[in-house]
Amino acid sequence: MTEIRRWQHRRAPGEPVSAETRDSYYGLPVIHGPHWRWSIVFYFVLGGLAGGSAVLAAAARLVGGHWARPIVRVGRYLAFLAVLPGPLLLIIDLGRPERFHHMLRVVKLRSPMSLGVWGLIGFTATAFLNALQQAAEDGWLGQRNPAAHFLRRLPARILAAASTLPAFFLAGYTGVLLGATAVPLWARNALRLGPLFLCSALSSAAAMLALLVGRGPGNARARHALERVEQVALLGELVLLEAVQRGSGPVVGRPLSNGLEGWAYAGTRLSAGVALGLHIVTKMLPRRLRPPLRLVASLVALGGAFLLRAAMIFGGRRSAEDPAATFAITRRPEDPARQAR
Amino acid sequence: MPGLGARLGRGGATTTLASLAESDCIVIMGSNMAENHPVGFRFVVKARQRGARVIHVDPRFSRTSALADLHVPIRPGSDLVFLGALVNYVLNSERWNSDPFFREYVLHYTNASVIVSPDFRDTEDLAGVFSGYDPQQRWYDPSSWQYAGRVQPLEGERWPCRPRIEPERDPTLQHPNCALQVVKRHFARYTPEIVEQACGVPRDLFVEVAETILANSGRDRTTAFCYAVAWTQHTIGTQIISCCALLQLLLGNIGRPGGGILALRGHATIQGSTDIPTLFDLLPGYLKMPRAIPQHATLADYFAHERPATGLWYDMPKFLISLLKAWYGDAATPENDFAYELLPKIGGDYSFQSILTMMKDGIIKGLFVMGMNPAVGGQNARLARQALANLDWLVVRDVHEIETASFWYDAPEVRSGEVRPQDIKTEVFFLPAAIAAEKDGTFTNTHRLVQWHDKAVDPPGDARSEAHFVFHLGRRLKELYAGDDSPAGRQIAALTWDYPTVGPHQEPDLMAVAREVSGYRVSDGRPVAGFHELADDGSTACGCWIYSGIVTPEGEHRAKRRRGDDRASLDWGFAWPANRRILYNRASADPQGRPWSERKKWIWWDPEQQRWVGYDVPDFPATKPPDYQSPPDARGLDAHPGTAPFIMMLDGQGWLFVPLGLLDGPLPTHYEPWETPVTNPLYPEQPRSPVAPVFLRPDNPYHEIGDPRYPYVITTYRLTEHHTAGGMSRWVPWLAELQPAGFVEISPELARELGISTGDWVVVETARGCAEARALVTERVQPLVIAGRTVHVIGMPWHFGFGGLATGGIANELAALVEDPNSLIHEAKSFTCTIRKGRLREEVGR
Amino acid sequence: MSRESTLVGRTRARPGAFGFLTDTTLCIGCKACEVACKQWNQLPMDDFGFTGMSYDNTGDLGATTWRHVAFIERVADREGRRPTRLQPFQSNWLMLSDVCKHCVNAGCMEACPTGAIIRTEFDTVVIQQDICNGCGYCVPACPFGVPALSPLDGKAHKCTLCYDRLKDGLEPACSKACPTDAIQFGPVHALMDRAKARVAELRAQGVEAQIYGDEALGGTGGIGGLNAFFILTAPPEVYNLPAAPELPQRRVLPAFLTTALAALALGLATLVTFWRSKEVRHD
Ligand SMILES: Nc1nc2c(c(=O)[nH]1)N[C@H]1C(S)=C(S)[C@@H](COP(=O)(O)OP(=O)(O)OC[C@H]3O[C@@H](n4cnc5c(=O)[nH]c(N)nc54)[C@H](O)[C@@H]3O)O[C@H]1N2
Ligand SMILES: Nc1nc2c(c(=O)[nH]1)N[C@H]1C(S)=C(S)[C@@H](COP(=O)(O)OP(=O)(O)OC[C@H]3O[C@@H](n4cnc5c(=O)[nH]c(N)nc54)[C@H](O)[C@@H]3O)O[C@H]1N2
Ligand code: SF4
Ligand code: SF4
Ligand code: SF4
Ligand code: SF4
Ligand code: SF4
Ligand SMILES: [Mo]
Repeated sequence: MTEIRRWQHRRAPGEPVSAETRDSYYGLPVIHGPHWRWSIVFYFVLGGLAGGSAVLAAAARLVGGHWARPIVRVGRYLAFLAVLPGPLLLIIDLGRPERFHHMLRVVKLRSPMSLGVWGLIGFTATAFLNALQQAAEDGWLGQRNPAAHFLRRLPARILAAASTLPAFFLAGYTGVLLGATAVPLWARNALRLGPLFLCSALSSAAAMLALLVGRGPGNARARHALERVEQVALLGELVLLEAVQRGSGPVVGRPLSNGLEGWAYAGTRLSAGVALGLHIVTKMLPRRLRPPLRLVASLVALGGAFLLRAAMIFGGRRSAEDPAATFAITRRPEDPARQAR
Repeated sequence: MPGLGARLGRGGATTTLASLAESDCIVIMGSNMAENHPVGFRFVVKARQRGARVIHVDPRFSRTSALADLHVPIRPGSDLVFLGALVNYVLNSERWNSDPFFREYVLHYTNASVIVSPDFRDTEDLAGVFSGYDPQQRWYDPSSWQYAGRVQPLEGERWPCRPRIEPERDPTLQHPNCALQVVKRHFARYTPEIVEQACGVPRDLFVEVAETILANSGRDRTTAFCYAVAWTQHTIGTQIISCCALLQLLLGNIGRPGGGILALRGHATIQGSTDIPTLFDLLPGYLKMPRAIPQHATLADYFAHERPATGLWYDMPKFLISLLKAWYGDAATPENDFAYELLPKIGGDYSFQSILTMMKDGIIKGLFVMGMNPAVGGQNARLARQALANLDWLVVRDVHEIETASFWYDAPEVRSGEVRPQDIKTEVFFLPAAIAAEKDGTFTNTHRLVQWHDKAVDPPGDARSEAHFVFHLGRRLKELYAGDDSPAGRQIAALTWDYPTVGPHQEPDLMAVAREVSGYRVSDGRPVAGFHELADDGSTACGCWIYSGIVTPEGEHRAKRRRGDDRASLDWGFAWPANRRILYNRASADPQGRPWSERKKWIWWDPEQQRWVGYDVPDFPATKPPDYQSPPDARGLDAHPGTAPFIMMLDGQGWLFVPLGLLDGPLPTHYEPWETPVTNPLYPEQPRSPVAPVFLRPDNPYHEIGDPRYPYVITTYRLTEHHTAGGMSRWVPWLAELQPAGFVEISPELARELGISTGDWVVVETARGCAEARALVTERVQPLVIAGRTVHVIGMPWHFGFGGLATGGIANELAALVEDPNSLIHEAKSFTCTIRKGRLREEVGR
Repeated sequence: MSRESTLVGRTRARPGAFGFLTDTTLCIGCKACEVACKQWNQLPMDDFGFTGMSYDNTGDLGATTWRHVAFIERVADREGRRPTRLQPFQSNWLMLSDVCKHCVNAGCMEACPTGAIIRTEFDTVVIQQDICNGCGYCVPACPFGVPALSPLDGKAHKCTLCYDRLKDGLEPACSKACPTDAIQFGPVHALMDRAKARVAELRAQGVEAQIYGDEALGGTGGIGGLNAFFILTAPPEVYNLPAAPELPQRRVLPAFLTTALAALALGLATLVTFWRSKEVRHD
């Protein structure tokens, strides 16, 4: 009946309760963290994958030649398939799932979540159209079907171009969404999270597409192009990961340097580094060793994308629990405690 | 109450809560006002905002201390040393001796000048006891405490009364046996050094308190004292309070705005329940309950012994006879002494602690418990439960199934298998009660203010009001006893019990009850305007003379009035007596009837109108001029001069020396609590009260002084979040969550010694029993250095029990039965104990 | 200091806004506010159990606790000596009745994707329970840790500033119950003037009092002040309040900009890569 249920602290004999309020209020959080857990991690990963795929497919369509067809094809399908579970993942995360449609009452430019909903809808629509057109082109809808005919007739380039904006949005807004909270880890990195998630989205999509386009020699050029993009994105990701850790500082960044979240974050950096490294190293290796290593590199990059979302979400939750982290970002400039840090 | 009554005339608070806002200094001592009287505390906060100093004297740093200017940590049970030293300090101070205000006030308004009998011997002379002590009986014969002077029997009275006393006086206040000099000598040894030794209060801190009080008393400034049960719950509780009254008289703080003594009362209407008492030894309006002694055999005998010749109590026959008329109606006639014979006469001590032992010993067989939870609130809770278990029947009326109703299957000893429910023979009836919001009625609160409250909702199910229960119980008893000619039968048959009933549940009409309480003319039933209209010939009836006038002749219940103002707010409710807000307010003007100062103006004599005027109802005959001198054979209030503010007293003066009315001596004297780790530095030969009633029985063992097995002082107290024994709070989720479990507060110093951390389970133990609780290690509790050695104090809220949502060990398992001789209140504020880390039984869990 | 004094009490509260002044110096920690709020709003008990955190057993604001009284013991000095002479008004055992701040620019409201959180005609911030779908975004978007999702109904809850009572011309339950007027309800600008006068008075008596919730402290970083503000006598952190919080939504535009830049860069890099892939030799 009378157990200490929350926030039980290590207490030493003879220590008065006042000792627990020297640096914080009994170590209790200042702010409330989000309730987000795995469904949101998966949504973030899939959203990145979908957005990245759509971007790659569009780019391939716009500037790629015939060699890029596989990218377009697989990219368009992947973009649509990856985004499909998104709304579901979001809805099951709601406290009142049956009211999900209340999201559609308003558009709020300062609410990344509101924009995100509309962005998700916009993306899903364009991804659907693109996928449909691809399906028509691939003959999945039958040859004589007037609808298929119509779809094939649609201006593919314009369709591709139209999909890039929502694609980039979907891949990047989640970073802004996190940044626009009081959660110290996210707030501190508000400007970096969007770019970071974008890089990760692109690298993971590229890795995924590279895996999916097939290993045949006909696809070698496409794979190569994807790997190039992946490398660029991984490089950007590595730079941003370092920037996030440094920018967070020792207190706010605590969840990135220890605990499970710390391991996850280290894993993110490691996988980005390893993937990039492998891509570079493979070039110097005998040709026959290359494909399996590339495969490994892509898988590692994909895993990194997942770890990144998990580390950021759970790390954010942890930083919200830590009063020192909140105080670190909310102390007044003239406060000596802030200067000391 | 006797503490204030003996010196000032009435036991109630002398002032109002609102008047505190006008104080210049407020001393809260013996109370945790902010926590236990938070609404009243708003006026302390107001006073503070106006610049008043607030001093809190309390062993613990509490929520009251947090708002104070000075916190004075004091050892529980040593308050009288502190107050006595204040008296001594004041009497020898430069300011008190040089400012004419004090002399004028004390000379005219107190009995400072009376000469005490030469037979009187002080505790200073007799090693800690007064003259007249009988060590066998543990009892005083007060005859040597009387005034020296002429005793003049009165003739020609319709009802007899005691003789009039004309004391000798020395207006120069120099006579060695005048009250002031006796007081001065008595307190001479109460020095700041003794305070340091006995209370653990550093000398300079004591001096600062004394200087602050002194600087804020006088013609233009007033200091108020607020106390509650941390003064009453001691074997010398009455004397602690009376010492405060003495001090306030010396400082000229009684009867003036912002001054006085606020007796902070307990339960919402505990004041009401002493006015129209649930006490065994009082009749309504503080008339003494007749005893089965020859001196009370007849009405005339009663008056001959209880009725004084002078002062307002001279009118006692009007009050008592009107009461008898109200109770016995037509059965009360001049011929049969108004049925005085039917009034029960008490034959002994039926205070709560005594009846507990009588129940345990099988003398009392049945008990009604209505609005009380003795299984938690009664001292020596184990004995209390054994007492309950030894009854034939027990009726509990409450809003929740409190421990008193569930002890037979839920008490710790039953849960542990020590006692089996089937071995408890008591038949327990649990009846649901309606709480305040579910019924109409009045509360009489701390400052004697009666306020009406309307019913907000219907009580659920079978829950009914107390009035309903008692009325219908009486009605049925009357039916049962109809025609029974035994004394008991006649008593019941004669009772007027004819209130009209209202509503679907036939609740008695409370307006009818109020009219009876307020009083009426028997001939036509017209309400009287006040107790001055009561008569001693049976022509008036009045259920409680001090409430007389609460129903106006027009039939309005004045407790329903709700018009306030910045002053006395006379149209907000009704304050007994006669709607007076500050008692003894004649003292707010100087002997000539002029306000002492513009700032402290309250009532004054208006020579034009030839009457007392001001903000309040004068607590004084309204047209008696200040220069009135009483003729030698005058009686009642006419026997008081125009300068006598204390109208209930024989001589109209506040008593510095109390020749009668107190059982443990005419002057406050420090005795240690019955259980104490240290000796009495003032009276080593007589460390403990020589007259405190003790219960020497195997089931109530006491600890010896300085018993090494029980080295710590423990005090028990309340939390804002709970109410008394918890029946109204521990079952209420919103309150239970705020303080969900029993705990003890211990200092970091002791916690370090015993290896205890906050949140640990601890067991507190005395010879009576043990209680389990969680530890809260806090600097708000501190060890005190008493006579050179460290004394640890443990604090334990006593609200908790085994029932309800918020549970915890019962603090009263630890306490012993032992009382103050005057008030018969137990000593829960200071005893000794030991404490250890751990649990009572491994995981007792539910 | 002069900059400070011009800042004290500055708020961007709209004319006609209603709010609270919670003056901790008058608070006696009786928790009447906490109970009155629960009673009026029929909120369930939290059932945390004994925490040992001084007299605070409810911990913080949450879905079922909309007023919460914090207790901070600062009794002894470093050497363990207890004070006897105390500074005027509340000291050494600090108590603060915390509540939703009804921010002038409210993070929770701006974050809410359903429009469930509205600003009422009294300029208070209220969650409409029939709209909220429990997305939980308002929860981390509040810089003060006020709203929370209820495990009971899945929706976000917080103080409504007794919108239902205000509608009926009644004072909020908590301020009504406060015995010492530590909680004062009224028009924000009038309360702010009162707070300034009170702080000046306290400072004259040597109390280091400050207003928490003006634009200099608490209502910082685009929040524009708090309609429910406080008088404190210790640094805000002591009471678990952030000294200089920021409106999270201030970061939305810059964050979108950096993201857009990154998108541009990555998009170009992709295009260039794909473009150049034409010429790249087959490996
Ligand atoms: N919230 C709430 N209010 C209540 C009640 C309640 O249960 N809860 N109960 C009501 C009732 S019935 C009553 S009688 C009143 C009681 O009102 P109070 O008398 O104020 O009540 P307590 O808390 O028992 O004791 C007050 C203080 O006395 C201190 N103390 C203990 N021993 C001593 C001593 O020897 N000397 C001095 N100077 N101080 C000492 C304790 O540390 C404690 O802080 O409160 C009434 N008001
Ligand atoms: N150790 C220790 N012991 C103490 C004290 C202490 O300070 N320390 N204080 C003492 C003091 S001052 C007091 S006053 C006593 C109090 O002790 P009790 O009077 O025994 O305890 P309460 O809990 O006040 O009991 C009142 C009961 O009445 C019920 N009730 C409320 N309203 C109604 C109603 O309208 N009708 C009926 N029938 N029941 C109702 C409540 O639910 C509650 O159970 O305890 C004393 N005991
Ligand atoms: S509970 Fe009632 S009596 Fe006690 S302080 Fe509150 S209002 Fe006054
Ligand atoms: S304090 Fe938090 S919940 Fe309250 S209005 Fe401001 S942002 Fe919203
Ligand atoms: S939880 Fe409810 S109130 Fe909060 S942001 Fe979501 S929809 Fe709005
Ligand atoms: S304003 Fe109303 S809802 Fe808000 S804390 Fe006060 S009582 Fe609760
Ligand atoms: S009701 Fe007033 S005094 Fe009591 S805790 Fe709340 S703010 Fe403080
Ligand atoms: Mo009491």
